[in-house]
Amino acid sequence: MTARAARWHLRLFRALLLAYPAWFRNAYRDEMEQLFLSRLARARGVRRVAALWPRVGADALWTAIALRRGRTELRAALPQRRRRAGGFDMLVQDIRHGVRHLMSTPIFTLGAVALLAVGIGANVAVFTVVDRFLLRPPPYDRPDEVVYVYQDSDDGEPSSAAFPAYRDMAEQPVFSAVAATSPAQLSWERPDGTVDATVEFTTASYLAVTGLEMVRGQWFSPHHDVVGSEPVAVVSAAAWRSRFGGDPEAVGRTIRLNGSPVTIIGVGPESLGGTFAPVVTDFWLSISAVAVGGQFRVGNLDRREDHWYSVRARLAPGVSVEQARAAMQALATRLGEMYPELDKGRGITVQRARDVRLFPETESTLALATAVVLTLLLLACANLANLLLVRGIGRSREMAIRCALGAGGVRIARLCLVESLLLSLLGGIAGLVLARVALSALPMAPLPPPFSATMDLAIDGRIGVFSIALMIVTGTLFGLAPALRAARRDVAGELREDQRVSSAGRATMRLRNGLVVVQVATSLVLVLTAGLLSRSLAATQRVDTGVDAGRVAFTRTNLARAGVSGPEAYVLLEQLRERVEALPGVTYAAAASRLPAQFSGTTTTIVEGYTPPAGTEAVELGFTVVTPQYFDTMGLRILTGRGFTSSDAAGADRVVIINQAAAQQFWGGVAPVGRRLRSQGQTGVFRTVIGVAADAPVNTYPERPIRPMFYAPAAQAGFGPVYVLARTEGDPAALSGAMRAAVTEVRSSLPVLAQGTLESHFGAALSALRFITRVMGATSALAVLLAALGIYAVVAFNVAQRAGELGIRVALGANPGRVVRMVLGEALVSVVAGLAGGLLVAALAARQLESALFGVQPLDPVTFGGGVAFLTGVAWLAAYLPARRAAMADPARALRAS
Amino acid sequence: MVTRSDPRVTPLRPAVFHILLALSVEDLHGLGIADEVERASGGMLELGPGTLYRSLAEMVDAGLIRSVRAPGDAADPRRKYYRITAAGRTSVAAEARRLQRLVGAARDRNVLRDPT
Repeated sequence: MTARAARWHLRLFRALLLAYPAWFRNAYRDEMEQLFLSRLARARGVRRVAALWPRVGADALWTAIALRRGRTELRAALPQRRRRAGGFDMLVQDIRHGVRHLMSTPIFTLGAVALLAVGIGANVAVFTVVDRFLLRPPPYDRPDEVVYVYQDSDDGEPSSAAFPAYRDMAEQPVFSAVAATSPAQLSWERPDGTVDATVEFTTASYLAVTGLEMVRGQWFSPHHDVVGSEPVAVVSAAAWRSRFGGDPEAVGRTIRLNGSPVTIIGVGPESLGGTFAPVVTDFWLSISAVAVGGQFRVGNLDRREDHWYSVRARLAPGVSVEQARAAMQALATRLGEMYPELDKGRGITVQRARDVRLFPETESTLALATAVVLTLLLLACANLANLLLVRGIGRSREMAIRCALGAGGVRIARLCLVESLLLSLLGGIAGLVLARVALSALPMAPLPPPFSATMDLAIDGRIGVFSIALMIVTGTLFGLAPALRAARRDVAGELREDQRVSSAGRATMRLRNGLVVVQVATSLVLVLTAGLLSRSLAATQRVDTGVDAGRVAFTRTNLARAGVSGPEAYVLLEQLRERVEALPGVTYAAAASRLPAQFSGTTTTIVEGYTPPAGTEAVELGFTVVTPQYFDTMGLRILTGRGFTSSDAAGADRVVIINQAAAQQFWGGVAPVGRRLRSQGQTGVFRTVIGVAADAPVNTYPERPIRPMFYAPAAQAGFGPVYVLARTEGDPAALSGAMRAAVTEVRSSLPVLAQGTLESHFGAALSALRFITRVMGATSALAVLLAALGIYAVVAFNVAQRAGELGIRVALGANPGRVVRMVLGEALVSVVAGLAGGLLVAALAARQLESALFGVQPLDPVTFGGGVAFLTGVAWLAAYLPARRAAMADPARALRAS
Repeated sequence: MVTRSDPRVTPLRPAVFHILLALSVEDLHGLGIADEVERASGGMLELGPGTLYRSLAEMVDAGLIRSVRAPGDAADPRRKYYRITAAGRTSVAAEARRLQRLVGAARDRNVLRDPT
């Protein structure tokens, strides 16, 4: 056959191909022609060629009709079982397709996964903490029956109770059981060294209040509630596992706490932690063991002015909380009559256990953190939705082609779904990893020192599931959008439109512009929130601690452990202090009962010439017992009067130095020197104010406002645990070895309980705030980056979609510069609308943030101005770059590319 | 009662069956399938272009086969190759068994008696 004849045959065959649907023709034309040509080449002779044509013709006609009638025939003919196997195959195919597609757009994929990871991770981490602190019901059996009973503090706030008052409460028939607990940190001597142990002194009734079962051994018996009987301990189930390796022999063993032997009689209930969940308790100690915590605890048990115990009670059957409240009010009135000096007007409050928040001071921080991460989660959702929608629009042509090729709506939906699920899965895994990292960095951070013990902060599965589910829903909803569009639209129209010599259809245009508005608005809220938080963080770093902390090292020891007390202890302390002061490089050495910014005991004090606004005549005052060199060592200025001297000795006139806040609150700052105050319990023993020291944070740092407190000279007060402080010319951290040696040399029985620098101590005190702010800051910064990427993606995509149109404008003679300006102008309209919306929402959000912001105004102009400028810049770049590329491109190429 | 979807009685279209048979040995492109079908049937079955490609399209859609990239040593790497899927193998085996049963039934009735 000649080449020419072959060409004619081929032409005829091509004409036949017109019978087929276009999608089929486009897909297989070349290969069908090849097959036809190979058959033609084989058919030698006119007769065989003539015989070929009817077959080819019938074949074409028959299959073309079949194809045009629909393609369900084969599938319908397939047996059910086989079809299901086919479905699985298809799923594998879908997943493979999804992976391939995600890998082909790595930036989109990474961006979306990062977005999901941040949203899910931050949420899981923060919710876990919030849940542990605020939401989780106490671990008691039938928790609705358990109430917390508080005696008012002198400020009229519900607070801890005096042990004698607890005894009175326990006699009330409204309760079936009443227990008192009091936490402490003890040093636990183990063969491998001394460690801190978190303990709670508690009564035998506690187990009945919790309603829980012991893991093994016994709980305390009522005779353990009396000082004088043997001191016993119950190890918590958690500590039994972590510290004893779950050894059954642990029960019956004797351990040494603060140098005293205590026998373990049982392993506590499985879920029971400390009274202050999520703080873990290592041991519960019987009341008979209170002396282990110090002799003063023995005295406490009978002193109505010392409020050391938290009271938990279980309501008697059939008794309501209201009835319990009435009974406690009656008790409060009775106590006020019996002890007018101490308890007149002091109320007793009953709260349902599940209504109680244990750390009110962390509540606002946690609430803020929750608000921020929730916002973040919503923004992450919105951002993800936007990314998916943008991509969906970009894929509408692909979807249309798939439709045209016969892929059913269901199949396309499946493709989109599988991709979204893959994304959500990846993001979820990354998010959980992120949450784990964040939570493992958390321990001890948000709690003030007395409670800074081990915390149980396992990721809560429900929260993880919730966050991931939210992301999956978002992903699915918006991932399906392109499939829905593809199903809804007429395919031909879509294909025609995207042959685009025209600009996009009005609906598409509106959708795209809407996306830009939403994206810009959400991003602005993110950027502004993040900005405010990071500026707040920066402000907290600059807070004045009041003391010159840079060169001070401390070592904590306990004089009681050397078996000394009273004047003898003071002599030993002075020896130790002089020893430390003699160390090379040390300019001053001092001792103090506590450090600034550290929770510590208060004393109920009567201040002469001052009437507290509420409650009793007395105020709760924090105090520090110090040696005379304290103020020099700390760099704390004496503003009025004088500091302590060696003449302020045990037998001399009793003196105190107050802080500025106290001088201000009690006497309006007028002539504080010479005024007097006394401990409420010690009638007639007044201390005279000899000076006013500059303010330093008392309980927390930063502390606003600084609480009133006083300093008492060590020679005139008793103490046991003590901080030895040294100011050095060199690096204070380098001093710890020498200080440790000094302690041991002075008396080998003195333990070294802790060492550090004052700076690191403040750092730890700040860590709660700093930690949360830093996490928020980092999360927000990442989110800002994502927001910027999001804006860039949406705007740039929008402009890039118009590349064909712009190319044509330029080809038709439009000035490229003017085309670029036109695009920028149009993009700007959406951006400005988004900025306006975002500003409004951000301003409202900032008002909510106000309480948490430190040293920054909620409507901080720097943050707001910077945020708006930043996002405008990003949007401008995103519009400018693709517009310029389109306008500058060779118009012919732009057309061909489309 | 047997239903249409019962695998014991629902036949595969011959073209589909033969394509699956051809692909059960190795991945092939369209032309290769046509050649192999022809070879295996001793020249009895010649798939027309329409039949072949319509079947391929529908079989991909039904998940019996899928298209794969050409192997590295292929003469024309632009050509689309096809590979049988697990579902395809199940189908071809079921069909072969069905035919086997038919042949068995025919043999039982002595219809396959040697004409000699």
